[in-house]
Amino acid sequence: MDALILELKKEIIEVLNLEEITPEDIDENAPLFGEGLGLDSIDALELIVLMEKNYGIKLNNASEGRDIFKSVRIMAEYIEKHRTK
Amino acid sequence: MELNVISYSKITNNKVIYKGNEVSIQRTESSWFHDIYRSLKLSYPKFFKMDHLSKAGFLASELLLQEEITDRETPKKDIAILLMNRSASLDDDRMYQKTIQDKENYFPSPAVFVYTLPNIVTGEIAIRNKIMGETSFFVSETFSPKQLYQLSVTAFTDPDIKRVICGWTDYELNNCDVFLLLLSNENKEGIPFTINNINNLYK
Amino acid sequence: MMSERILVTGMGIISGLGYGKQATLDALCSKHSGIGKMKYLQTIHNYYPVSEVPMSDAEMMDSLGISSQTIITRTPLLGIMALKEAFIEAHLDKKRPRRIAFINGTTVGGMEKSEQYYPDFQNTEAYIAAHDCGTSCEAIAEYFDGFDMITTISTACSSAANAIILGANLLKTGRVDVAIVGGTECLSKFHLNGFSTLMILDKEACKPFDAKRVGLNLGEGAAYLVLEKEQHAKQRGVQPICMLSGYANTCDAYHQTASSPDGQGAYLAMHNALENAHLHPHDIDYINAHGTGTQNNDLSEGTAIMRVFNDNIPPVSSTKSFTGHTTSAAGSVESIISILALLHNFIPANLNFNNPMPELSFCPVKDTLTKKMQHVLTNSFGFGGNDSACIFSKID
Repeated sequence: MDALILELKKEIIEVLNLEEITPEDIDENAPLFGEGLGLDSIDALELIVLMEKNYGIKLNNASEGRDIFKSVRIMAEYIEKHRTK
Repeated sequence: MELNVISYSKITNNKVIYKGNEVSIQRTESSWFHDIYRSLKLSYPKFFKMDHLSKAGFLASELLLQEEITDRETPKKDIAILLMNRSASLDDDRMYQKTIQDKENYFPSPAVFVYTLPNIVTGEIAIRNKIMGETSFFVSETFSPKQLYQLSVTAFTDPDIKRVICGWTDYELNNCDVFLLLLSNENKEGIPFTINNINNLYK
Repeated sequence: MMSERILVTGMGIISGLGYGKQATLDALCSKHSGIGKMKYLQTIHNYYPVSEVPMSDAEMMDSLGISSQTIITRTPLLGIMALKEAFIEAHLDKKRPRRIAFINGTTVGGMEKSEQYYPDFQNTEAYIAAHDCGTSCEAIAEYFDGFDMITTISTACSSAANAIILGANLLKTGRVDVAIVGGTECLSKFHLNGFSTLMILDKEACKPFDAKRVGLNLGEGAAYLVLEKEQHAKQRGVQPICMLSGYANTCDAYHQTASSPDGQGAYLAMHNALENAHLHPHDIDYINAHGTGTQNNDLSEGTAIMRVFNDNIPPVSSTKSFTGHTTSAAGSVESIISILALLHNFIPANLNFNNPMPELSFCPVKDTLTKKMQHVLTNSFGFGGNDSACIFSKID
């Protein structure tokens, strides 16, 4: 799980162009949206693409993502359960 | 109506100019735009999500407005933004096409698609400075000081508009050609806004 | 000054509802939507309902007398079809006035041919060369033997509305005598995929202002208005259709593609257009909303409408339920629809509406309504927070 969490942090930084952030800066239990990283609706859509591209998990609409992207840890747990890649 | 150019900025592939003076940019291994961002000591993480056209236009606007806009929170209804270029959003269009080109590796990118519209750069400048006046974007084969002049003068037809950000913002095939002017109709000190002067300042 | 009024003296339109004003009017009155199964665009995403113009490129070229050997893309073909109708109505085909501007809104340009022919670039380079937005504008202008000034506006879904605004301003400042304004856009895989990846497309017919709305349907089309000052129209002996009595463009300054929750940009656009027209909210008889059917737009726009009109909200409908979202052409397509409604005293239905939005104090008009009208307002909002509103009025 720890390895996946670190991998996910690196991917999030790359895919969302979080240039000035390092994996150490991201608290895996903190909310991804709203406060903290200040991600927006487009970032959520990019995370949906990331889920499919890297882990083979297809989400059908943006609202499905809302629960899964609550934090890096919750995202990692969901990926562990549902990944096909 | 008397219009004056009260500020201007220019960014090319190797020069950054503000009000006629070259701005020194600390070069690193990073990209040209990222180096400009750091040299200007900006703090705006959204910058890194932008495409090349928006990055270039945004940076030029940060230079342009540094003395004019000190408050970024209060909505400003008296400023209009009017930009032109030749290549529209072609640079980003290509990037987006790459994400849908390969049927086997087909992952259209929403963040890239957002920038496949040339006027998003006007949106970025507006979001940063809370500018709520008229914004527009025109596509033209070459940079025409005459057309820029006509369109800018027309923007002041709205009595609420006191300042106009206008210019040429083109980025295509790694070539950056960005030139912005800030105009005022409140007779401030500045260079008279004429077709000749646009030409002189652009060179 | 009366002679300073900006009048509409010609209109031309082509969309999924068919070719010309009469076909458009008939479809609106009979509640016959142009949204359906994809027929012309070749894509694997053909499960998305769209509103396509029911003519192939070959059919349009034939109708216009353009040789089949000519390299021309679908966007300008749609534009020429629409402009032809406006040209004739405004008598521009008879005796040409001196200073005519052509202001065209488009974003897709020749993309639809580029994506078809790119794999075979060596042999089809000419089609790729026709890709630029500016080329579309020039191709249309060339068919009509050129104009004194032409320019392309590319501000996404408010492009055509902004063309109307620029045209009016050029007339007001005396720079041109006639302004032909509007937009044209055809479907392409590029933007179909793009909207799909933003997850704002509906896999069924869109439901603007419905609580269960899911997204928009894309459409294609072109529409142009001929604008000139009253004095000039009188001199030319051309019958005016209606008046462009007010307009405004503002920026939401919130997000690149989403609208602000309180609809500030939309609110300012409508408010400023009313001021520009010297009208009060209660003067407006009908609002042709931007109403794309996305969760975000309809809430933002609905909120803005409530803020402008308070307890006196006029009938509202989104005719994107008929034409789909014609993106860069939407501003002029929907202006012409609004003018047809104004002149024929009816309010087009907002199709597919069933569930009121709990956040709004109003519902859109579900069925075609007869109403004698004086002033109509039409909204067009584009990505980049680019919000425009235009008001058309009957000439007294």
